[in-house]
Order: sequence, then C-alpha cells, then structure tokens
Amino acid sequence: MLRFIRSRLLEAIPVLFIIATLTFVMIRLAPGGPFSDERNVSPATLAKLEAHYHLDQPLPVQYLTWWRKTLTGDLGPSMRYGAHSVNEIIGHTLPVSLELGILAITFALVIGLGAGIVAGLKPNTVTDYAPMSLAMIGICIPTFVIGPLLLLLFALRWQIFSVSGWDTATDRILPAVTLGAPYGAYIARLTRAGMLEVLNQDFIRTARAKGVSEFRVIYKHALKGGLLPVIAFLGPATAGLLSGSFVVEEIFDIPGLGQHFVNAAFNRDYTMIMGTVLLYAVMIVVFNLLVDIVQAALNPRLRLE
Amino acid sequence: MLLTIDNLHTTFSTHRGTVHAVNGLSLSVAPGETLGIVGESGSGKSVTCYSALGLLPPTATTTGHAWFDGVDLLNCRAVDRRRLLGNRIAMIFQDPMTSLNPYLRVGDQLIEPLRLHRDISRPAAEARAAEALRETGIHDAERRLRQYPHEFSGGMQQRVMIAMALITEPALLIADEPTTALDVTVQAQILALIRNLQATRDMGVVFITHDLGIVAGMCDRVVVMYAGHIVETGPTPALFETPRHPYTGGLHKSLPAIQQRGAPLYTIPGNPPDMTEQTSGCPFLPRCARAAAECGAAPMHLEPVGQDQWTACIRRQCP
Amino acid sequence: MKQRFLSIRQYLLPALIPLLLCSCGREPVFLKSPAGQPGDGVPQILHLGNGAEPKALDPHVVTGVTEHNIISALLEGLVTENPKTLEPQPGAAESWTVSDDGTVYTFLLRSNGKWSNGDAVTAPDFVFSFERMLSPGLSAEYAEMLFVMKNAAAFHEGRVTDFSQVGVRAVNDHTLEITLNAGTPYFLSMLNHYSWYPVHPPTILKHGKMDERHTPWTRPGNYVGNGVFVLDTWEVNKEIVVKKNPLHWDAKIVRLEAIHFRAIEKALTEERAFRAGDLHVTSTVPLDKIEKYQQNSPELLMVSPYIGTYYYLFNVEQPPLDDGRVRKALSMSIDRAAICTHVLKAGQLPAYHFVPPDTGGYTSQARVTYDIAAAKKLLAAAGYPDGKGFPGFELLYNTNESHRKIAEVIQQMWQKNLNINVVLKNQEWKVYLDSTQQGDFQVARAGWIGDYVDPNTFLDLWITGGGNNRTRWSNGDYDNFIASAASTSDAAVRFEAFQKAETILLDELPIMPIYLYVSLSLIQPGVRGWYPTLLDHHPYKYVYLE
Repeated sequence: MLRFIRSRLLEAIPVLFIIATLTFVMIRLAPGGPFSDERNVSPATLAKLEAHYHLDQPLPVQYLTWWRKTLTGDLGPSMRYGAHSVNEIIGHTLPVSLELGILAITFALVIGLGAGIVAGLKPNTVTDYAPMSLAMIGICIPTFVIGPLLLLLFALRWQIFSVSGWDTATDRILPAVTLGAPYGAYIARLTRAGMLEVLNQDFIRTARAKGVSEFRVIYKHALKGGLLPVIAFLGPATAGLLSGSFVVEEIFDIPGLGQHFVNAAFNRDYTMIMGTVLLYAVMIVVFNLLVDIVQAALNPRLRLE
Repeated sequence: MLLTIDNLHTTFSTHRGTVHAVNGLSLSVAPGETLGIVGESGSGKSVTCYSALGLLPPTATTTGHAWFDGVDLLNCRAVDRRRLLGNRIAMIFQDPMTSLNPYLRVGDQLIEPLRLHRDISRPAAEARAAEALRETGIHDAERRLRQYPHEFSGGMQQRVMIAMALITEPALLIADEPTTALDVTVQAQILALIRNLQATRDMGVVFITHDLGIVAGMCDRVVVMYAGHIVETGPTPALFETPRHPYTGGLHKSLPAIQQRGAPLYTIPGNPPDMTEQTSGCPFLPRCARAAAECGAAPMHLEPVGQDQWTACIRRQCP
Repeated sequence: MKQRFLSIRQYLLPALIPLLLCSCGREPVFLKSPAGQPGDGVPQILHLGNGAEPKALDPHVVTGVTEHNIISALLEGLVTENPKTLEPQPGAAESWTVSDDGTVYTFLLRSNGKWSNGDAVTAPDFVFSFERMLSPGLSAEYAEMLFVMKNAAAFHEGRVTDFSQVGVRAVNDHTLEITLNAGTPYFLSMLNHYSWYPVHPPTILKHGKMDERHTPWTRPGNYVGNGVFVLDTWEVNKEIVVKKNPLHWDAKIVRLEAIHFRAIEKALTEERAFRAGDLHVTSTVPLDKIEKYQQNSPELLMVSPYIGTYYYLFNVEQPPLDDGRVRKALSMSIDRAAICTHVLKAGQLPAYHFVPPDTGGYTSQARVTYDIAAAKKLLAAAGYPDGKGFPGFELLYNTNESHRKIAEVIQQMWQKNLNINVVLKNQEWKVYLDSTQQGDFQVARAGWIGDYVDPNTFLDLWITGGGNNRTRWSNGDYDNFIASAASTSDAAVRFEAFQKAETILLDELPIMPIYLYVSLSLIQPGVRGWYPTLLDHHPYKYVYLE
C-alpha cells in the first residue's frame, strides 16, 4: 500500500508542474491585463504598476521567480486586492469552502446512499420510483435554480433560514443542500445500480444459502461491492464540488474561495489565479488518491497492482 | 426421510411470459443417501433445489411443500428457514469464483455459518475453520484464511466452498454441478473429496449434474428430469441397465463410447421444449420415437416399474 | 411492456414539481422592517450592500465607486459636500479664500481637526499627501486629478523632482496654500474626490516608504483617518465594519454608531438580502426586478439622475465610419426615447447631448436629433442609397444582458430605418477593454461617469490624444476650445467655449450619445438623511435610522 501511495504522489508532481506552467502561459496570453480598466491608465503609470509586480521582467524570469516564491510558501500579493496577499485570502476563504464542500458531500452521501439502498432493495416498486424520481430532479435542475428556489421558500416565505451569509450554524444548511443535491442524486442512482448488480451476484445467493439474514446480506456482503461505483464517482465529484461551490457562494453570499477562483480569471489577477489553480490541482490530486486508496481497501482485487 | 419435496410447482414471470420451470415434482432423500438429479440445461434440476430452499428471486412463484426436520421450508417463517440453511442443510454451487464473496477474506466467509448457528467464540471458530480447510486438503490453512478468494485456484476455491458448507456438519448437502467449471483432473479430486467427507459423516447428498458419468460414480439413486418433470427415477444400476423412459435411453445413447470412433455422434432428435408453454401430457412427445396418441393426453404421473424404479412413460419402454 | 411503463413513472413526479412550485408565486415584498416607531431606540447601525469587494482602502491607489463609498467614511478632505446639493462645505478646512484671478486658494484648517489617534490634522499632512499622490513611485491611477495644481503633472512625470516647486505649501501648521495652473471654477468640488484626501504621514511611514503601494497601513488596527468613522474590521469578501469616530470635529451631529459595508457579488443575492431586511440600502438592483418594485413598492425604489452618459464609440479610422455622414445617419436613425421607455424602463432619459443637462449649470444647446428622412439622405450622400452597398460593421459590447438588449434594439432600428446590416459582438470585460484600447473595433459601447460636477470632466475626454479617447478622433478647434475653457475662471466664458466644443462634437459625432444614467437604489423606509444626488454621494454624517 505504501508503495502504491508513493508512486501515485510521484506521478502527481509532473501533473502539477504541467498545470502550473500551462496556467502561467495561458493567463498571459489572454487579452487584457490586471490593470486595464474603463478609465485609461497612462503608459507611464502602467509601466510602474507592472514593475511593482515584476510583470516587466522577461517571462522565464517571472516564471522562475514564481516557482521560487511558491516553493517557500509565498504566493505573492493579490494583483487586484493589493492590501492582501494571496496566502491571506486563501487562508481566510479556503476553510469556508472546505466546510461547505464537506457538508455538501456528507449530505449527498447520507441522502444518496440511503435512497439508493432503499431503492435497490425493492426495484420497480414505489420505494424505488419515489427516491429515483427525486434523484432525477436533483440531477436535472441546476444549482442556480435550486438555490434561489430554496431561498424563496425557506428564507423569504417561511423565514426559517437567513437569506445569505455564513454566520450561524443554520446558515450552512441551505447552501450545503443546494451544492450537495446533484451529487446526492447521482450517488443515489449509482448506489441503486451498484446494489442491484451486487444483489444479483452468485455470492449473495451463497450467503442466503448459509442462512444469513437479509440485513446482514446487505450490510456485510453486498455493501462493499455495491458502493464501489459511488467511491469511484467521488474522485471526479470533488472536482465538481470545488468548481460548483462558486455558484453556491454567489447565491448565498458565502465568503469562500470559489468566488476568488473565478473572479481572479475575470480580473486577470495573475498571482491569485496561479495560487488558486495550484491549490485546486493539489486538492484534486489528493482527493483522487484518497479515493483510490479507499477503493483498494474495499476491493482486494485492485491491490494486485 | 431427510428431505421430502411434495408437488413442487415453480413459475417465473418474465417479459416473454410465464415460464413453468418445475411442474408438480415430488422426490425424497433418505439419510446418508446420495441422490443424483440429471437433466439438460433448462430441465429444472437446479431450480428444484433452489425452490425448496427459498433461494429464488422475487420473480419466482413456488407452491408445494419441502419437508425437512419437521419444517415445511416452503410454508414456514423466514427465520425458521434461515435457521436450517447453512446449518442442517448446506449447498455448494457451480462456479466457485463467483459464488464466493470477492470482497471478504476466506476466513471470514468460512466462520460465518459457525458464528451464525453456533454459540462459539471467534477464535474457536477460526480454529475450526482452519481445520475444515485442512480436511478439504488445503495446507497452510492459517495463512490461507487471511487470503481473498481470487488468490486461490479454481479447484482450491471449490474446496473452500465445500469446507464452508460442511463446517456446521449438515445432515444434507446439495451440490449444484460443483465440478462443471473445473478441469478433469481437478474434477476427480473434488468428487473423491465429497465421497470421503460423506463417508465420514453420514450425510445425505443431492448431486445435480448433466453428466451421466458422475452419476454412475457417485450416486445411489437417480432422478431424471425433463422440462420440469421427473420422467424416471430409480437406483443407479437399474437406470443404467434397464432404462424405462425414452429420454433416459436417449441420454445413454448420447454418451460417446470409445467403440464408436469415427461414427457420427448420436443426438436426441428435436429441440428442448419452450418452457413458457404448458403442455398436457408428456413433454418429450415431440421428440419421442415411441410416442403414441395417448401420450399427449394423459397427465404426467410416475408409475412403478421394477424394484424401486418409477417411470412416467405410459409406454414403459425405451428404444 | 413493464419496462417502458416504469420509465415513464420515474419521470412523472419530477415533471410535477415545477407546477407545484409555480403556485408559490406571489413575491413577498420585504419582511423585516428595521423601522420602528420614532424614539424606539432603533440601533443606529447601517447595513449597506456595497457590491464587490473593494480593491483597497488607500485613497491614493484606488479608482472605483465601491472604494469611494468606504473611504469617504474613513477620511475627510478639505471640503465636504452638502447632502442634497453636493455644494462644497467646510470639511477639514473651516474656511478659505480665493485670489482674484482664481489661481491661489488659501485654506484655514480647523484647530480642532483630529486624526483618529488624537494627532492634530495639519497643513503639512496635506502637503505630504499630495506629494504621495503625485509621486512617480506610487503610480497612482488618478494622479491626473491633481494636475490642476501648478507643476503637479511635471512632478508626476519626473520632469520636476523637487516637490516644493509644486503648487501646494503649508504656510503654517493650519494654513494650506494651493496654486493652480489657471482659474478652475470647479476646483472646490474636485476636492471631494478621494484623490485629494489626506493620509496620516506617521502611519504611512511606519509601515513602509511614502510611495510604496499596498503596505499594511490600511489594515484594521493600523488605519488612522480623519473621517467620521474609523475602520473596525475587514473580512475580505464579506464585510467591512466602520465605527463612529468620537474625535471627529463634527461628531456630535453624527447619529450612526456603525456602518457595515457588505461585499455581495451577485445583484440577485444582494436584492434578496434587502428583501429579507438584512440590508438598509443597496445600489445594485437587478434589471428584471425594477418593474416589480415600481408596481408593488415604489417607495422602496430611489431613482435619481446620475452624472453619466451611455454612448457608442466610433473608430473614426475604420471605414465606413470614417465618413462623418455615415456617423450622423447612424445617430439620427435611432429612437432614444423608445429605448428608455421600452428597454430600460427605470426612468432613464434619452441623451441628446454628451454632457448631461444642467451639469453645474451648463446645458448644451447643440443636440442630436431623431430624423429618419434626413438620415436616409445622408447615407445616400455618403454613397449608400437605401443601404445598398453598405459594408456593414461590428458593434462591440462587453458581455452583459442590458448592453445586449440595447444593442439588439439599435441593430433593429438601423436595419429598419436605414436598411443596413450590423453584426453584434460581445466580449468579456477585460478583453473588451483591450480591444477598445488597441483600436480593434469599429463601433463599441461605452459609458462615462463624471468625476465632479462640471462639463470639463466630460468634454476633455475627446481632445487629441486624450488618454481616454479611444475613437482616434482629432479636431484642432475642439482642442482649442477645451484649452481656452481651462484657462479662464469666468463661468460665462467657459461655458461659451464648452458650447462651441460640444457643437463640434455633436456635429462630427466621434461618439453617439444614447441615454443618461440614473442611479437606482433600494432603500428601506426607516433610513433618513439619504438624498438623491447627481454623483450618488451620500455623506454618512447626516444619515440615521428610524
């Protein structure tokens, strides 16, 4: 197992390197820069501004400087919010986004697994149709419709939750539900399919032939195999959660990293873009690795590698 | 009688219609006896046993009785049935690779019936499991217990299955084509193993197979099935020497013999029946050389012919 | 059979949900009213929706309205504004005198003017601040606001290195003398712009050099200002809280205890917060909500003229727009009034001049007209009778619903009235800026907000080679008129020059004015002292909650 982890981490290094380099090049190719605005800046001022952020230096120098500083943990000042460094902004907003993401995926797993197992146990009955129809809703209706809809009902009409912000514990509920809903829906469908497939396998029949109770058949014999598609899904799901959080953060006015990630691109805030892209890349690599480890833990046949 | 199946009817509802897999079947197994159930694929031989044990999917409907230990397995509470399964009745299956849970260690699967049906501690169960593996010829049992099924060869997997089935010392073992998926040399070993284990335990065995050769070597009595009906049953020697149903005779003729080298192989003319249609009378009629008009009218019914031998053929003969 | 049936049933329930939810239609107006009865002791904490997160709180490096809203609470210039008329009133300076030729202003600073740490506000503080604003090292984007001062431009551009040559000096600790290049009648109202605000020299120097950008001096705990409020907390992308400054010379008339500036990116989210009673005022009203408020709760909607014009730029170097007749034809064939009434719908007015009417008392006599027949004649004279042979052009705008709607309507009007084809193109904001700066466009949408209330802030855009003149239009007479207006302080003479300049502008039409901006705000009924003003400025010391 350790060898597996180590080799995956080693593989990740060139990936991160390529991502950082591509991003570095692409953002400088995009028209417009961090300082262009409706009110024209004089060329002299522009030159000074660019010098302040080392943008006047040749590209390879800028590139190496960025790596040098990043490897010491310094992501530089934000080009747009000059009074704050990228480290600082990430430091304040990443925990928020992480909390939102974790709550969302927890909600998705609880709802999805529950619904999927229930549906998979009695296929083609009401206990199958009801959760799967709801799952269809979660998949088809986009976040930016579900979010405002929930706000309309629960915050404005019935005044149960607040309409925006991230202050009290109850503020977490609607955003986590909105972000997690499509994932919960996918997980429900995957779990149902996984369970159905596993429950049709011969070894389930063997378990029943041993006199094992239905409950134990599901929880001890079927679940591990049935959950494999869900685990596999979680890897790419983290990527989606990270980028989807932007929309949810906008709707609920949550001070998370998603907004900075997207707005940095619009603002051509080079340092912010590089910082957030690298961060997201690292997170995705780590999450996918964790998912692979869990999969190998569940499915011994994968460990042959 | 160890197991008595009485008037078993099993149907499956499918998108093509209702499949009548087992049609009014009755049989019994005596303690210590080895009963063979023979037939083609689709004859209903496996379904019969699965029906009796309640192992069929919800699309199946079963009526009839299956008496074991004073309990009618088909008309009792689920908990009562589960108390007997894996405990007094055990089953081993055709493909051990898919019949063992690939996600659990072999040891965990082995001790499961013990822990379910006996009041035994985990360490004691594990010791018993190691011993069971050794009895089936697997050495280095302690290490093997911690492995996963895919780390065993096909023959070894079947030994594990057998060990798992016999670990609770059941009174009846049902073996559903346990050697079909194995190659010939391993087949022989597994069959020998089953014979030995049976001898030391006074256990009844139901052996489902399509291979007459195995029947000859393993079984005391035989049941021949066709299209969900028993067409003939009797002691093994009698069925081989004096078959009393054209289908049984056809099966004999189909066995390739060394003497026939060079000559075309015999096959029973015609095709297996469409199980969605319920026929009246003998289902073998379309393929039978000895069919007569009354064969299509009279309901299937076993009549005695000779010593403990029964046939459903109203002509009571075979070609 | 069974399989198909099951799949239909699976879709049935989700199909019903939207129908169910539609029935929960009726919009609640807003729920919590922070207004209680007068004398109820309503907490005097103002919650403002401030749009996006400000780029910085240093008055010398910022450029936007978002930043102005907060900085104007933390710092105070030599003058302040009347909350209704925006007329300059005494601020840090309690009085001033002007020389006869209007070039020398002498300000007498208050003796009780204090920084938030207790230091006295002195004339050298202002000198330091102007030097900082103009220092080449700081590269302030708004440095040009100070160029009315003698030698300010030269100092900023490095031609003069001794700041004592620049037209500002501290006569003594409480007397500040500013010398201008020429009489500038609007000078006092310019002083309300944050580029003229003072900063506290010891604080600046404690955290870095005078001309160093983005030092930590603006952080809560470090920020020292002379404004009505002090910086309390700053949570990036969330909220900035300022609290009443007890040391301010006018503190006794200030009723607000604190202001919360909330940074909310999305207009819809901000509007929801307003509806839920979480915000007192918001200045970003989503377009599609305007009508609802106009119908259901017009008392919450504040619409007032805003000193800005929405217009289209012509790249006069690109055919067919290099022909003035074509430009005129284009301008004369659009129905501005219809656009305001049917597309914008929020009380905007059509713009027939470039400078908004009554800007500091000036209203242009020249105007553009709506005359389809004349437009057709002009187009024919340019060589495209009835649009035949017209090569067409691209109309560029930055991606935005409202710009798109207007562009589509105008495209249709040109098609219908002149029979010409125009292609619409939209680009992301930064790309659009880049394209217009590089001249990579034919016709582009633009807008201009005045920095102070005087026609100069609009008309000096179009001088030859002007930093913001993206049309590449050049007219020597125009340049002369603008220069002559800048060189006299006689209002009548100035306005005469502006009239002449604008006549040329509206004849040659390097730009085509379309409509005049309005500022739209949603404001809770309990907010008092918040008046509509041309610059959308709302001095906080007069605001209170009931």
